[in-house]
Amino acid sequence: MATALGSISQIDRELARLRVDPDTGEPYQRTSVMTHIAWVPGEWVEAAEDVLLGLAERHPSRTIVLVPDPDGDDELEADVEVERFPAGEGREIAVETIRVRLCGNRASAPASVVEPLLLPDLPVFLRWRGLPPFGAGPFEQLVDVVDRLIVDSNEWAGLPAPYAELPEVFERVTASDIAWARTSRWRPQLASLWPGIADVGEIEVEGTAAQANLLAGWLRSRLNRHDVELVHTPADRLVGVKVDGEPAPFPPGSPPDPADLLSDELDTFTRDSVYEDAVRAT
Amino acid sequence: MTETAEPTTQQQNPLLEGLHLRRVPDPCVLVIFGASGDLTRRKLFPALYSLALRRLLPEKFAVVGVARSEESDHGFRDRMKHAVQEFGRDDFHESTWDWLADGMHYVSTDFANKEGQKKLEDVLTEMDEQRGTAGNRVYYLAVPPSAIGMLIQEIGERRSTEGWTRVIIEKPFGRDLASAKQLNQEIQEHFDESEIFRIDHYLGKETVQNLLALRFANGIFEPIWNRQFVDHVQITVAESIGIEGRAAFYEQAGAIRDVFQNHLLQLVALTAMEPPADFAADSVRNEKVKVLHSLSTPGPRNVVRGQYGPGYVEGQEVVGYRDEPGVAHDSLTETYVAAKLFVDNWRWADTPFYVRAGKRLARRETTIAIEFKRAPHPPFEIQDDGLQPNVLVVHIQPDEGVSLEFAAKVPGQGMALRTVHMDFLYGGTFRQGIPEAYERLLLDCLLGDARMFTRADEVEEQWSLVDAIVSLWQRDRPSFPNYPAGSWGPPAADELLRRDGRTWRRH
Repeated sequence: MATALGSISQIDRELARLRVDPDTGEPYQRTSVMTHIAWVPGEWVEAAEDVLLGLAERHPSRTIVLVPDPDGDDELEADVEVERFPAGEGREIAVETIRVRLCGNRASAPASVVEPLLLPDLPVFLRWRGLPPFGAGPFEQLVDVVDRLIVDSNEWAGLPAPYAELPEVFERVTASDIAWARTSRWRPQLASLWPGIADVGEIEVEGTAAQANLLAGWLRSRLNRHDVELVHTPADRLVGVKVDGEPAPFPPGSPPDPADLLSDELDTFTRDSVYEDAVRAT
Repeated sequence: MTETAEPTTQQQNPLLEGLHLRRVPDPCVLVIFGASGDLTRRKLFPALYSLALRRLLPEKFAVVGVARSEESDHGFRDRMKHAVQEFGRDDFHESTWDWLADGMHYVSTDFANKEGQKKLEDVLTEMDEQRGTAGNRVYYLAVPPSAIGMLIQEIGERRSTEGWTRVIIEKPFGRDLASAKQLNQEIQEHFDESEIFRIDHYLGKETVQNLLALRFANGIFEPIWNRQFVDHVQITVAESIGIEGRAAFYEQAGAIRDVFQNHLLQLVALTAMEPPADFAADSVRNEKVKVLHSLSTPGPRNVVRGQYGPGYVEGQEVVGYRDEPGVAHDSLTETYVAAKLFVDNWRWADTPFYVRAGKRLARRETTIAIEFKRAPHPPFEIQDDGLQPNVLVVHIQPDEGVSLEFAAKVPGQGMALRTVHMDFLYGGTFRQGIPEAYERLLLDCLLGDARMFTRADEVEEQWSLVDAIVSLWQRDRPSFPNYPAGSWGPPAADELLRRDGRTWRRH
């Protein structure tokens, strides 16, 4: 097993070594459209690796996976991987994944590790697994170095209270929520109920708490009706929506898988004011 | 393609704001004339399948294949299923195919007789009743040019009184200016121009459309995209394949009608056009027509034609054109054409556009190379091999992308310079797979979007130039073959540039 890399310069050297084809001595063509940072506390590592699998091919990028381990000794433990994918006739592109375990005090200063590893002049996306510690050091530091924050409020406990923290983030960085993306098949179905839905009194959502709260927030904000009541029936995915007791038409097609959802978010660069309004109205 | 819902609708329905609603075509029947042909098998059905897989076809949809050869509905479905499996770009899903196949029918008939027309009409009426296609029709004429006039007339006279009718016409559209005008006239007797979709599949290629994005969505290129900064332009449409059993067609057409008249001149138009006011079909096409109209007729010294002899392509020995099955042993049909063109307008005056297209060339490649003027006074000692001028190359196929050549310092003591390449590889950045041109164009037609189809006046301008070149050729008898298969064309094509102190790009 290879020895873990313990410093940024070691990471840089290893990247340079892996970027060269050992047979020809020529560098692989590196194609990157962004730096993708993933903040992955230990309990999320397995799920995050599943999503990252295959994502690199769709979004050629430098991916930096940060795993905080504040209870460990004060050090960095990193490994680097360069994957190659075919692109065009007889050509390949190389993408890079850097996995860094931030041990001890290093976990409280992630920006200082990330900054030297960012690809210049390319957008930086941060995928934060779990509930961000709004206002706390690591989260605040990373928000200040990225262009876009991606969360999944399905991973948050105690909803809807945490949504109250997000509007402050909206003013600093473009934010998006995979839970919101998961409602995208249902929103056109509800929109198709216009104009009758304008007088809705109650929306009943069978799905996750995040989906229920966001759909209710969306209706309230778009209709400018803060008296729309939410009835939430817990389920692990969005399976039905009723408007004043009447089922909304079921959307066609299958729900997208987690990698597709993250992939779509990585294609988006602009603020989503409809989402922001929905969050404010939860 | 996704589009945000219309603003006016959003004002009425606030829930539509921010929803990226995909435009879905109206219910309709697609009628393919020439359903037994190669195009239907290799391109149209794989494209329809890919559209179905992405749920881009209307729910109420049917396809009726029409051809003379006898075949049952079942046989047609089975044959097309194999075609999709063989030529499709997507994994095959039985459920998607079943959905598409459920609305597929085959009509074996000679459309020239009344009985055949009635037979088709009955099937279409049945489709409207069974599948709710509401009288909307797209007729795809994948037939030889000689059959188009008759089909247009019969379809026009029997067009549905309910719903809309659109007609897609495959190239070649006529074989000269007179026949193209005649055909346009016949079409206009029965159809409005907005109902006609003359297909040039090059316009459906993502990278051709990216040329518009490159030029008009970036601030850095347009200011230097003119005679002041551009030395010349080279456009290459090179094929390594031969005529692939299409001798009957190719003997009549040659390279000038097969590729130059359409693909090549469209690339010239897209490269040279002014920025359109908007991206509406007529705005884009108006600007292209202006370029085509501004093309001056090249003199005999500025056009080169060629025909391949035997040679080697990709290591394989291949026969010369005259030894291809079905080709006359003394054929004078050109398989290569190169020309030096000028766009006589304010932007491009005196800037040569060197264009070439040919078969059995060294490599398959379609590129547009914009070669800029050299730096006026580089303050460095330049080696004998010299610095190459900056070149922006748009790679249409293969290896779709854009590259820029510029000078860089070679690391080390002194100030040695070298030309380096900065590459944008389309497939390296966008990994979701590039849709086939026919997918895009079929969907555009179903949606009634004619932006990527050629208009009557465009076609006529193209033929006008081709007629002028062909008339020059009638004055002499070329010495064919004049280039070996696997080369980059006849020596005269190199001479065309050499006398201007330039060379073709070899990449």
